Amino acid sequence: MDFYYSLAQIIGFHTLLGLSAYIVLQTGQVSLAQAGFFAIGAYVAGMLTVLAGWHLVPAMLVAGLGAALMACLVGFPALRVRGLMLVIATLAFGEAVRLFFFNFDYQIAKGEVKIGPLGGEGFRQIRWFPENGWTSLEVMLFVWTVVALVAGALWWNDRSRFGAVLRAVGEDEVAAQSVGINLTAVKVTAMTIGGFIAGLGGAIYAHYTTHIEHLNFNVLLATFAIAYPILGGLRSVFGTIVAAIFVQGFLVEGLRFLGDWRNLLFGALIVLAMNLRPHGLIDAATARRLARLFSREQWRGEQRRA
Amino acid sequence: MGFVDYVQAIIDGLLFGTTYSLIGIGFTLVFGVMQKINMSYAAGSLAGAYCGLVGPQLMGLPPWSVFPLSIAASGVIGYLIYLTCFRFIPLASPLATLMSTVGMLLLLDEIIVHSTAGMPQNYPAIYDGDPIEIGDFMLRADLVGVFLVCVVAMAVLLALLYRTRLGMATRAVAQQPVAAQLCGMRLQAVNGLTFVIAGLLGGVAGAMIGASVGMLSPLIAGPITVKGLIVTVIGGLGSIPGAIVAGLMVGAAENLFQALRNVTERDIYVMLLLFVFLVVRPGGLFSGRGHD
Amino acid sequence: MRKTALLLGSAFVALAGLAVTGPAGAQERSVVIKGFGAKSGVVRSFGVNSEAAMRAAAELINSQGGVKLGDGATGKIEVEFLDDRCTAEEGISVVRRIASGPTLVAIGPTCSNVAEPLFGVLQKKAGDASDSGLQFPIFTDVAIKGGLAKISEWAFRNVPSEAEMYTSLFSWVKQTKPDLKTIFAGVEENFAHSRATWYAVMKEAAPKAGLEVKGEAKWLLEDTNFAQQVREIKAAAPDILAIAAHPFTTCGVLKEMRRQGVKVKMLIGLTSSSSLETLQGCAREAEGIVIPTSFAPVNQAAEAAAAQAAKFNGSLDLHSAATYENMFILKKLMEEQGVLAKPDTVQADREKIRKGLAALKETGGLLGTSKRTDDREAVKPYLYVHAKDGKWVVLHNPVTN
Repeated sequence: MDFYYSLAQIIGFHTLLGLSAYIVLQTGQVSLAQAGFFAIGAYVAGMLTVLAGWHLVPAMLVAGLGAALMACLVGFPALRVRGLMLVIATLAFGEAVRLFFFNFDYQIAKGEVKIGPLGGEGFRQIRWFPENGWTSLEVMLFVWTVVALVAGALWWNDRSRFGAVLRAVGEDEVAAQSVGINLTAVKVTAMTIGGFIAGLGGAIYAHYTTHIEHLNFNVLLATFAIAYPILGGLRSVFGTIVAAIFVQGFLVEGLRFLGDWRNLLFGALIVLAMNLRPHGLIDAATARRLARLFSREQWRGEQRRA
Repeated sequence: MGFVDYVQAIIDGLLFGTTYSLIGIGFTLVFGVMQKINMSYAAGSLAGAYCGLVGPQLMGLPPWSVFPLSIAASGVIGYLIYLTCFRFIPLASPLATLMSTVGMLLLLDEIIVHSTAGMPQNYPAIYDGDPIEIGDFMLRADLVGVFLVCVVAMAVLLALLYRTRLGMATRAVAQQPVAAQLCGMRLQAVNGLTFVIAGLLGGVAGAMIGASVGMLSPLIAGPITVKGLIVTVIGGLGSIPGAIVAGLMVGAAENLFQALRNVTERDIYVMLLLFVFLVVRPGGLFSGRGHD
Repeated sequence: MRKTALLLGSAFVALAGLAVTGPAGAQERSVVIKGFGAKSGVVRSFGVNSEAAMRAAAELINSQGGVKLGDGATGKIEVEFLDDRCTAEEGISVVRRIASGPTLVAIGPTCSNVAEPLFGVLQKKAGDASDSGLQFPIFTDVAIKGGLAKISEWAFRNVPSEAEMYTSLFSWVKQTKPDLKTIFAGVEENFAHSRATWYAVMKEAAPKAGLEVKGEAKWLLEDTNFAQQVREIKAAAPDILAIAAHPFTTCGVLKEMRRQGVKVKMLIGLTSSSSLETLQGCAREAEGIVIPTSFAPVNQAAEAAAAQAAKFNGSLDLHSAATYENMFILKKLMEEQGVLAKPDTVQADREKIRKGLAALKETGGLLGTSKRTDDREAVKPYLYVHAKDGKWVVLHNPVTN
């Protein structure tokens, strides 16, 4: 059972990473900087629990806020550019963050050993969960509480006025601008929220692996961040969750029994999925069907109550 | 480190930058025609170079045979990428082809890993003699050769695009796909052909990268993809001369920062410079088109 | 048609019956040991070789009567090898998967960047009830970065001690070639193991042996252009060049040195580079490079082991030889500790194996006896090999000489 709890944790922080890109993608921006924000979250939270001895929850919040601040700062200049230019600009920023941590030493002596991030050799012993006696089940519940809160907030946002504004910018910038929407403000807000979510995800990641190093936060991770919402379809937060389960649960762990074929199938199945469902696993039609399902149940429930 | 060393560093970088230029041109060519980005392009070029090794390693052909074989194989791979990642995906969904080509990149890399167990493979140099010395400076002779190959490949490409009917069709599709179709051009055929041409060019790039590094390894697929993309956007999307200049610039900047600072900090400055460049000049060096 | 189906059906039932009654009648149980490491990505060859070595050893042990279990029954070793793609997440996931089954102990991983996080997930001090870390013994064969087993009392390694090997190599160099006075290094800066090997091991050991350290040139794991670094090497003009890097960049630098015509009197390489990869990439340029390693087929036992591994399509090198040794160490240990390998004794058996491994003072190996240290590391016998005509040849064997 332990294994499934652990797998659920992996899916959890990958979902957060995906959701952080989801909100940015809603404004039509493809950002490869998410892995950078994820890294900031991981390092900040790790340093707070290990070096400063904080409780994980405040450490995570500070990590999220730190990443959000960075996202906000980078959002202003970056969002001047669009399309592929933005992809590369954000990629450059994400890589710069990773390389910053590659050169980042901050160690303090604790007893006879030194702890803290040490450049290329990484940051070891981020063991807040086991040191405080958390079982895998408890960690999993904690992770998914965070995911549920974030996903719930985004789901609600999709139905709010601000959500409509985000999608309007994503669909047609010119039209959105002409009805008086401040493009920069909307995009930077989305980026900041995305940064916050990625920071939370990174904080969980650091405490899951107990050791982080710059190479964990490479372009591949950034690509996965945008892959989840794209694979899932941009219509609903559930798409991102489904995609994270599909990739981490099915492609990575579920196919393990295939041995060597698993690695080959990984890429091949992504290609196949995009050919079969170019608008994502949960595209507009599926989303509508799902919505109808939910509303019908709601309707039935109301009838019963009446 | 004196002045001479910095100049030498820039020279080294410029020469090595030609391989970045070649990859950048491939990206830019596909982008120019289809307005889409093919993330698996660099991996496809590398895979082509690996296929070339079959000649001398398994069939007992002379070492030089890797070059034509690499180029041909890469052309075929280019077409396969078109079939699997573009042909059946609606034109209006750029994110879908972005993802499908990322999937392809991972697949190609893993196929390489499986066929070689991930071990680096020796790749012949195009010229194996002494470096050229000019005063205090030294030029790697084989890289000068690579530079010349790069120039020839680009000249052939430009001639193809601007001097043949085929090129005219390609350009017509790039500019006005609907009008081109109305004139009786087959969109799919032209698009497929663009991938073959880009693939052949990628084969040249893959072979030249192999020749200048002296080895092939699945390790380099990631970095050359990133470098290629960077070169493409700095040069201006769809601009072939832009990609050439940008490749050389990236190579030089990389080496200069390494000489000025340190190898571990080198890429931070390259990335920050790129970020600033894009923000200040969103169209790239030679912004041929206004739209993205 | 129906007849055939009936026949097939009864045959199947008979077979199934055999399978159920067979082991129970002979009092035979399976002892599950799993391996994990990278079978995808650039380090795939490590995983392939480790798996082959593991299967080879298991077959040999089983054919020689298996493991004698605590209650007199015979244990047949059952192995499986899982791929962790050399990433921390998957490594942890794989081990948790292994730990939730009947596996008694795992051998792996390939990459130090998997071992380091993985050991952090394990319980730090065995028996510490306040620490909810995983309680599962891991006996590492490949991941070599210095001092990793310190992280957890459940982590053990049978990897060579680089500090020991390079200290001895440098003093041997000083003795046999007194005209070599200076050393310069090339370091793969973004790979934790390579970095640690130069800064924490070689750079400390060289001055003690009387060599003058003249600095280092740096590059990154995936670099392709080494013009500047080689120029730095040229400027330093050292007698010895130590390359703390993996085969891809080791070869890249060596090729650039040949192009620029830079020569040194002696080349020293990273332990991990004494593999087939270096020879695949640049046999010509690597000619003469000296590397300390903990394995070479120099005696009968080692040759036999290499032949056995070759049957399973793998080659024995310093990494996979450790896998092979681990299997035999574990076999002996399980017999001594009276492991039962029953479904309800899994955790108790793991505990026994952990205690047994922690208590070991020395272990047998293919090249001779290894010492075990208090922080769960090995001090293995080693020898120096050098590349000669596209092969690794033993240059000096400090054990026998």
